[in-house]
Amino acid sequence: MAFDLRVLRQIGAVLYEIPTSFREEMRVPARLYADATILEAAAQDESLEQLANVAWLPGIVGYALAMPDIHQGYGFPIGGVAATDTRDGVISPGGVGYDINCGVRLLSTNLDVGEVRAQLPALMDAITAAIPAGLGREGSISLQKGGLTEAMEGGAQWAVGAGYGEREDVEHCEERGRMAGAGAGAVSVKARERGRDQLGTLGSGNHFVELGEVAEVYDEKSADAFGLRPGQLVLQVHSGSRGLGHQVCTDSVRRFQDVARREGYKLPDRELVCAPLQSEEGQEYLAAMSAAANFAWANRQIMTHMLRRALENVLAGGARRMRLKVVYDAAHNVAKLERHEVGGRPLELCVHRKGATRAFPPGHPAVPEDYRAVGQPVLVPGDMGTASYVLRGTETAMRESFGSCCHGAGRKLSRAAAKRQVNAQELRQRLESLGIIVRAGSNAGLAEEAPDAYKDIHRVVDVVHSAGLALRVAQLRPVGVMKG
Amino acid sequence: MGFEELSHTADVSIRAWGGDLDELFAAAAEGMFALMGAPRETGVGRKVEVAAGDLETLLVDWLSELLYLSEVNGELYDSFAVRVLPSWRLEAAIAGGKGSASGDKVKAVTYHGLCVEHADGRYAATVVFDT
Repeated sequence: MAFDLRVLRQIGAVLYEIPTSFREEMRVPARLYADATILEAAAQDESLEQLANVAWLPGIVGYALAMPDIHQGYGFPIGGVAATDTRDGVISPGGVGYDINCGVRLLSTNLDVGEVRAQLPALMDAITAAIPAGLGREGSISLQKGGLTEAMEGGAQWAVGAGYGEREDVEHCEERGRMAGAGAGAVSVKARERGRDQLGTLGSGNHFVELGEVAEVYDEKSADAFGLRPGQLVLQVHSGSRGLGHQVCTDSVRRFQDVARREGYKLPDRELVCAPLQSEEGQEYLAAMSAAANFAWANRQIMTHMLRRALENVLAGGARRMRLKVVYDAAHNVAKLERHEVGGRPLELCVHRKGATRAFPPGHPAVPEDYRAVGQPVLVPGDMGTASYVLRGTETAMRESFGSCCHGAGRKLSRAAAKRQVNAQELRQRLESLGIIVRAGSNAGLAEEAPDAYKDIHRVVDVVHSAGLALRVAQLRPVGVMKG
Repeated sequence: MGFEELSHTADVSIRAWGGDLDELFAAAAEGMFALMGAPRETGVGRKVEVAAGDLETLLVDWLSELLYLSEVNGELYDSFAVRVLPSWRLEAAIAGGKGSASGDKVKAVTYHGLCVEHADGRYAATVVFDT
């Protein structure tokens, strides 16, 4: 049954609110950034109910928020943002997701698509050969004894130290690729076993490696600061923490059921289970989640190294040497301890972003120094056939959404529906007719990720731009996609 | 006993049923592995034991344990002999072989919409997976 939209108040041109009167358990109102079309679509699944449920979280501050790529998730809707007071509030694994630090890394090159067009198939072949994809462990790098612990505690910084990449790579990575407070000891044996053979692998589902072209620049000054220019060849890697993260989430959702009983929580949804951040269980999840996040950053760093070598090999001996640089790397499933001003006072908050990214403004100390005048790059990958965007964070986001923004296009069709409705062969041909080279593990996997299965990325980005949460800098178009 | 795949925005779910809890749990496992694909070999047998605080958690824990075993061992299972015991425990003998998921790549078992019902002389459950 669809959500009754008459419950919502329109607060701004693209901002709607579910008031606390909607349900007794709501401690704060819930707010959604959306236009009318997105709102209609959101009413068709459970995402708005889930958003209202998030407003129950003990210690939640401000609003339960959702971005315009909102869709139904587990506990939290995808596109959900919730900040809790670190003193007496909770941490909720559902507010992070099963794929901890699923995120995206954008890399720029010194080449134009125009000058390497003839070599694109060879580049895609090299990418496919370099990065093992799919679920499971074939082709992963083998870790020395203790290497997994180092990856969990050192993240991308450990990877660079171990020879995977350049020191400069981590400077443009959120947290510089390593969250403090990571505790490998808080990660279960099962999670370690799942993760041990998966470093250097892409994973499946909506994970991908994509070669793209900077199709349009909206803000020259910012694009320049980020190292982007029209016609440039770029690379995106979208991946997460693999089985290790999935197990950390599974373990904590399980463990927190007992905590919820002990604390007397009346959970609106079992996937919204949580524990006081200051409890032993809350601290252990924070440590384990940080370790899994670091594992994902180590993974993206390792893949960067492998991609760099593979691509440079293809172009070796050519007119120009390829240089790959990290533009930015951001998580879109994570919980961060951040200071935000609420009601004029600075508060330490645990900001959950589930299918949402951080979008910090110009001047913020966490923004890399060479970007600080412009703001943090916000990476919003679209679906396989269309566009991705690069935006920059703003003060408005800091004030209204705890410095957060959307993360992508958001699904419209379930995987089962996509497989039924989309003919993979036709899809492959359609993409190839658009000049996009496709490498995919399976036809079914391809169909599930069809553009028709996703919301309209341009619409989603229009909303965040007009809301002022993040401002458009450039649009990227795919020229080659490798899917797990 | 049996199962069927349901549709769900973003991820995958099944409905499973059986004449008793043993059959229900076996059907749910069959359903989860039907999503993933058949093993390419045979000859693997394992014993599984799970304990939980309530029936729904037992079901999630059972399927999560199978997922974990499947991933770390590079195996898929297609046969499940389950005994659900008092105090929300179970023992099972599972069989299958080497293989990795060729269909849906199930990442985790969730509590989303989880319910185990007993009506008209049979047990039924809906389980949603993160894929």
